[in-house]
Amino acid sequence: MRSNRRWAVGLLSGIVLSATALAQTPGHRPDAQFAHGFESVDQGPTRDADAARFLAQATFGPTTSSIARVRTLGYRGWLDEQFAMPVSTSEPYLDWVAGLPDNNDVTDDARLEIWAINAIGLPDPSRGNAVPADALRQRVAYALSQIFVVSNGNGTLNYQPWALASYQDMLAARAFGNFSDLLRSVTLHPAMGIYLSMLQNQKEDEERNIHPDENFAREVLQLFSVGLVRLNPDGSEIVQGGVPVPSYSQATVRGFAAVFTGWNWSNAGCGPNTYTCCNEETYFWCGPSNRDEAPWQQPMQPVEAYHDSLNTKQLLVYTGAALPGGVLPAGGSAQADLDAALANIVRHPNVGPFIARRLIQNLVTSNPSAGYIRRVAQAFDDNGQGVRGDMKAVLRAVLLDVEARYGHWQRADTFGKLREPLLKFTHLWRAMDARSANRRVGNLSTWPYLEERIGQAPLRSPTVFNFFKPDYSRPGEVRSAGLRSPEFQILSDTLAVGTPNRLFYEVFCYYTGSDRCWDSDAPDTLQMNLARDAPLAASDPAALLDRYNLLFLSGQMSPFMRARLLQQLQQLTANDYGSALGRVRVQNALYLIVNSPEYSIQK
Amino acid sequence: MHSNRRDFLRKSLAAALAGAGAFSALGNLRIVAAAANQPRYRFGDYKALVCIFLSGGNDSINSIVPYSTAQYADYLRSRNGLASAGGLALGQSAVQAQSLDALANVPGLPGGLPGDGGSYGLHPSLAPLRTLFNTEKMAVVANVGTLLQPTTQAQYQAGSVPLPPQLFSHDDQSISWQTGRPDDANADGWGGRIADLMYSANAGAGPMSISLANENRFLRAAVINPYAMDASGVDRMSFLGDGSESWIMGDNPGGAAAYRALIAEGTQAHVLERAYAQASGSAIDNYEIVGAALDAAPPLTTVFPDSDLGAQLAMVARLIGVRAALGMSRQVFFVSTGDYDSHDGQIANQGDNLAQLAAAMAAFHAATGELGVANDVTAFTASDFGRSLAVNGDGTDHGWGGHHFVLGGAVRGRRFYGRMPSLAQNTKKNPLANPDDTGYGQIIPTTSVDQYAATLASWFGVTAGDLADIFPNLHRFDATNLRFLG
Repeated sequence: MRSNRRWAVGLLSGIVLSATALAQTPGHRPDAQFAHGFESVDQGPTRDADAARFLAQATFGPTTSSIARVRTLGYRGWLDEQFAMPVSTSEPYLDWVAGLPDNNDVTDDARLEIWAINAIGLPDPSRGNAVPADALRQRVAYALSQIFVVSNGNGTLNYQPWALASYQDMLAARAFGNFSDLLRSVTLHPAMGIYLSMLQNQKEDEERNIHPDENFAREVLQLFSVGLVRLNPDGSEIVQGGVPVPSYSQATVRGFAAVFTGWNWSNAGCGPNTYTCCNEETYFWCGPSNRDEAPWQQPMQPVEAYHDSLNTKQLLVYTGAALPGGVLPAGGSAQADLDAALANIVRHPNVGPFIARRLIQNLVTSNPSAGYIRRVAQAFDDNGQGVRGDMKAVLRAVLLDVEARYGHWQRADTFGKLREPLLKFTHLWRAMDARSANRRVGNLSTWPYLEERIGQAPLRSPTVFNFFKPDYSRPGEVRSAGLRSPEFQILSDTLAVGTPNRLFYEVFCYYTGSDRCWDSDAPDTLQMNLARDAPLAASDPAALLDRYNLLFLSGQMSPFMRARLLQQLQQLTANDYGSALGRVRVQNALYLIVNSPEYSIQK
Repeated sequence: MHSNRRDFLRKSLAAALAGAGAFSALGNLRIVAAAANQPRYRFGDYKALVCIFLSGGNDSINSIVPYSTAQYADYLRSRNGLASAGGLALGQSAVQAQSLDALANVPGLPGGLPGDGGSYGLHPSLAPLRTLFNTEKMAVVANVGTLLQPTTQAQYQAGSVPLPPQLFSHDDQSISWQTGRPDDANADGWGGRIADLMYSANAGAGPMSISLANENRFLRAAVINPYAMDASGVDRMSFLGDGSESWIMGDNPGGAAAYRALIAEGTQAHVLERAYAQASGSAIDNYEIVGAALDAAPPLTTVFPDSDLGAQLAMVARLIGVRAALGMSRQVFFVSTGDYDSHDGQIANQGDNLAQLAAAMAAFHAATGELGVANDVTAFTASDFGRSLAVNGDGTDHGWGGHHFVLGGAVRGRRFYGRMPSLAQNTKKNPLANPDDTGYGQIIPTTSVDQYAATLASWFGVTAGDLADIFPNLHRFDATNLRFLG
């Protein structure tokens, strides 16, 4: 446990250094806050700006009320409150839509509606207009969906919104439990069974030259747990003779592939009047017929006849592995082999730093220090009560680490990450009290599809490698500096225009009282409450910018940016706009802020 | 904005470089300036390379299939019998109906018959490519894959030679294919390296390397940023006032200037903010050049199929059509389609994928004819890997070597280059039945990606010396040029 004094001194020298650099580029950085950054995390936040900054990391965007809540409870207290909040689910909403008298087509866009309702915290018409309050859990579930990827990009899943909603609900339900339960639930969810072809995988048959499908076996190791190369506890690669050491071999992939054989649809609800139960005879043609049937949402179950119990299986080898030489003996049932294999994965020393880096990159910063990764990995290894894989401990470590709370002062010019396009939308909707007339949400059902307009959409990744990779480094200065910048991988020239254009449409079309665009006042259009801030914008645009500095930039707007925005707002006058002046100034402020470099980089 | 961007670059370089730190966004332009002042290449002619990346790993064993007796028997057995009976093998007569009638070898030159004594035909969905092959516009390059050096089965099994790392991993193998550098996970793409070297040979300011499939490693370069655009065309930024939806905000005086001020050079202290600003600025610059060129060009008459790949290749054809407006005498394109990762349901999935591929490639070749550049444009397929000879039920797993197509008027078509591998099944009783198999159903490549890519690059105009820089392992292989482009 580091002493407050030691890191305070380090922090001070960091601030002195950035003050020197400030002289070179005057006014283009946030004002240094000498009075702050020295309190321990347990005493903070002491400013609204720090609360907002925390919420930008921990939720889909700060709001006035959530800022106040964090100020009241403190960081830890807010996390504890969030850990205890009931889970907001998405599957019931699809049932509700299906039961409506019209507009009751349950497409994948309907799934995006409930995703938005839960992410933004809108009253949920399928649950008596209850407002989702589990903001942290929803944000973490989104982060997990970018690690344990399934996607409607797979042909089968494209028509299975119930399966994908169920997968989302599973991630949300498991987000604060133990990693081993999360991994098990991911492994056995039928959406994953379809996506990485573990469902109906069969043991080898030499006569017919059939080998078990290796798809899930490979990706569960490469992308969900261990990664390709062995890691030190601080996330750095272990190198021998100048070459990174692989974590596993092709033989290991084959070993796991043999473990993941014999798993099929749940038999819940199966029968002569519904759909075929899965057994040895029906193995390849059993299962649900309709999208809303139970097996799409229940864990897979084993059919022993198709499970490989004849062969030994090479699993992961590492110091402390329970299995000698990592070899799983023959003779196990499908369930026993799966349990042993998942345990073999979860205890691998890579998992802590692997998951630590991905969660830090997803929530806080693209370039965590080795120390930050190590501290979070330690929390994964042991939550302080001897438990490995406690996700609450991991999340506390990610969000309360000194680097998460103060990294933007320590490394002012490199800390942070490019905000994902989708998070700009959720942030706007949350901050601007967006509501729709009929409590549905049509805004994400764009044409072309949202993932083509802005480069991403929930559970719609183009491949199992997510929208962007953790190691992506933008060519040019970023790469020369040895920095990673994952989210830049979807900042193509088209998307660098497409996302701002979609944000333009939101800001200039979708506000309460608007009929500017053809769908401005459609009953399911989420409209922002621009009128709330219009009077302030008309009478005191500088104060408007102060408010948006807090809500959007967590108090980090540079003097340069503030001056330039103020100049623009003042250029718009009542002569030109009359009573609409306030709203037009709000629109200009919002558009310029959300597309600005300073806001686009979450620090 | 800047109608002649190269002049703009030259004029502003001195001022910019004087004040810029080592990591200024303009710092890298020092290299461009050097190249601009002393061009390494000069071209009086035009050429374009088009990489068609089949994402996920195409099963080439079911794409180019033997119908000769002995080879078909091996294929049928290894693929667990006919697809109609639950296996994965295509029917012999269906394949023979799509026969690739290869020319005999010319003494002294590579290319000709398949090399294993067999006769091959195409997957029926690839029918349009049969015509292109048999009319000498297309060639097959056999069993290409990532290699660090020529590798035999014995060496693979003994582990006695270095192998490309992370074989069978999509990500790593896609990258190795696109860089030609399995020995360097951080290498730029070979298309990007060519753009770095040749950009200054172009007279104009337009982007030289263009992707229709978002970010990719193939076009990643040290200096020359690829332009990643959408097949549907170029959109302008609404807030700047000249977009199709700009009317929504009305006049909005000062808005565009304020936006530009916030992304202007030199106004960001943070590295990532600078990168974001630069990305936004160059997107605007590029759409102004490319959008204007496309808007002014007459439409093509060639009809492209209404598919994702069809749309991408249609836009490539249009961009080739405006090469003069862009000022380009050399262009490199990247398109991508898939999912070819047929672990499951391969018969249906691959059938659809290959139909889309063939229709789009045929239309593209026709469009190059319409534009009068059929002999100047070479399209070539690439993929993460081929797939396993063995099946997993109704699909296949990740393999290694795979066959590919090269298409264009300059291709020495109607020939196979390299050797088609054995399709025999290794069994526990007869573990060495197939000498081309790793031992588990993945075929060891007999042609390296280096050789394949270097042949294309050489045709494109890269000198022998620069080829050795771009492909430093090329010398380990017998032939540094496969001669499918003369």
